[in-house]
Amino acid sequence: MSKKILLLSSVIFLSSCASTNISELGDKFLDLINPSDAATEQADLGGEATLIAVDEFSDATISEIEELKALSDDALIEMAIAKGIDFDLDEDGNLKDRDALIEAIVEKSAELAISIREFENNGGTFTLYFTYDNSEIDDVSTRIIIEHANFMQDNPSANLRLEGHADERGTREYNLALGEDRALSVKEVLELYNLGNRIIVVSYGEESPVLVGSNEMAWEENRRVEFSYY
Amino acid sequence: MKLLKFILLFNLLISFSANALLEVNIIKSKEAAFPIVIAPFEVIGESKENIDIAKIIRDNLNRSGQFSALSTDALVKNQIDFNFWKEHKKDAVVFGKVEQVSSKVYNIYIYIYDVFSEKSLYQKKITVSNTGFRRIAHFLSDKIYYVLLGQRGSFNTRLSYVTVNENNRGGRTYRLQISDSDGFNPQTVVRSPNPILSPAWSKDQKKLAYVSFKNNRSEVFVITPFLNTIPTKLPKFDGIASSPSWHPSGKSIALTISKQGNKDIYLYNLKSKKLERLTSNISIDTEASFSPDGNSIAFTSDRTGQVQVYIKNLKSEKISRATFEGRYNAKPVFSPDGKDLALIHRVGKDYRVALLDIKSRDLTVMTQNKSDESPYFSPNGGMIIFSTNRDNKGILSIISLHNNQIVELLQKTGEVREPTWSNYSN
Repeated sequence: MSKKILLLSSVIFLSSCASTNISELGDKFLDLINPSDAATEQADLGGEATLIAVDEFSDATISEIEELKALSDDALIEMAIAKGIDFDLDEDGNLKDRDALIEAIVEKSAELAISIREFENNGGTFTLYFTYDNSEIDDVSTRIIIEHANFMQDNPSANLRLEGHADERGTREYNLALGEDRALSVKEVLELYNLGNRIIVVSYGEESPVLVGSNEMAWEENRRVEFSYY
Repeated sequence: MKLLKFILLFNLLISFSANALLEVNIIKSKEAAFPIVIAPFEVIGESKENIDIAKIIRDNLNRSGQFSALSTDALVKNQIDFNFWKEHKKDAVVFGKVEQVSSKVYNIYIYIYDVFSEKSLYQKKITVSNTGFRRIAHFLSDKIYYVLLGQRGSFNTRLSYVTVNENNRGGRTYRLQISDSDGFNPQTVVRSPNPILSPAWSKDQKKLAYVSFKNNRSEVFVITPFLNTIPTKLPKFDGIASSPSWHPSGKSIALTISKQGNKDIYLYNLKSKKLERLTSNISIDTEASFSPDGNSIAFTSDRTGQVQVYIKNLKSEKISRATFEGRYNAKPVFSPDGKDLALIHRVGKDYRVALLDIKSRDLTVMTQNKSDESPYFSPNGGMIIFSTNRDNKGILSIISLHNNQIVELLQKTGEVREPTWSNYSN
């Protein structure tokens, strides 16, 4: 119990330290929607939202559109809600304009991809490491998680998948549980920012190592939580 | 060359799968085993079957650690020179014949003689089709085991395990496979680019439960391997669902479910679809295994801050800690008589198979390995199969509880892991 209180207070402390970072980051994201930005300029010129996306992210986006087209209305609606996109329904409860919604989704994910790239370029860290048989968040990790909290607050359409992993030592099923506990302790911090409903947690246990090998170096690399936005 | 051809042929018939897990080094074989001779079977007529029944039997009996079964150059027929075998200190002589009846039907004869009393202990004629040779060899191995030791053998049974191979797209291919108890005759039941783990046989050995990540999360599936059915997924639970273990009745499955992040063990009734909670603790509870009578489960929990094994009596609802030695004990499984648990025990930096006498709490470490996993008893309780690491590669290992002899089974390429042993076939 005392550990939790300590964690909570350290998060509050660190987040107050990081408040300047939030505004800094915020300014950078403002740049993105500024007309001087290349991507948006193209958007204005091209007129069609999907076109910029195709230019920017060519093949990946084309296949994304195909995938989206194959989805049911319900699945699209679910995605739209998750990404905070407005849509209209007809009297039967079907989507009024599927194509428009698909375009909007693609546009949102293109925007998100740019934001993520920006976040990466600014030294954003997308992997947290843990000690043996442990899922506790240390100060370094807390700072990194706060950066992600800021990012998510600045990008309301960003949803986060936290993927927990373990090293090969110990039994597979226990490690599967341990991987989930690691991802959950990251989520716990993000919940302090009311971001819980935008996060899914999965565990791969020891099944998906970054580095294969039975040595300390491989084990350290593999005890991790990976952040991926969608 | 012949082997190569055989493999090529199989390539055409079934998806890639080597004909067998290769049997490699036997470690720590002791001479305390029962010395017997299994003579080559005499072939009467023109048998086109290239399966050496006597060799399969010898390998089976030797793997059990109970026997030291040798071959002989001489063809042994009904006139046995008992004095010769007495001089060579053999206690029993087994021989047989293979007689072709028609293109696909054979008669197989087997004779077991006791050398000292010079008496016939057993003889039988069995009619089989040409595809049944391996099965008959396993059946006869069980017979010999029973006639000479008075105990059931575990040879006419099946193994299931997971194999992992690198594929040519830079990813991995996971296969859930079933083989004979000697690793021969492997068949792929499920193949996936995503991890497969924790296969578990139902007691009637008609069904296998397993965990698959095919939907990018851990989910439990049930498949009926011999009916070619599509795997059925257990209903979507919150968070992870994993670690299935069949109740001996086959009517329900214990599994680990994470609800709001809290991992506990639940019992899922396949018919009523009802979920009953078996443990509730804020720490990790997982890796449940039913006792043979279905009245208790053993499981792994870190409720004291250390990973230890506990047993819950499902009638009295009482949970008691089972392991007290060491700081890491996990993945328990009951012996067929319910008296022992096989588990993974950490010794220093190494994880080894250990045997725990539940009543006396005596713990015996069984191997010298670095990273053993997934122990499972043979149905007669005489052997434990588990996976371990050799040269950074997962292999299967079978240890005899009679004399601690170890036989290792591996694939030519790729890994083998998470073995389980089916129950007796009826």
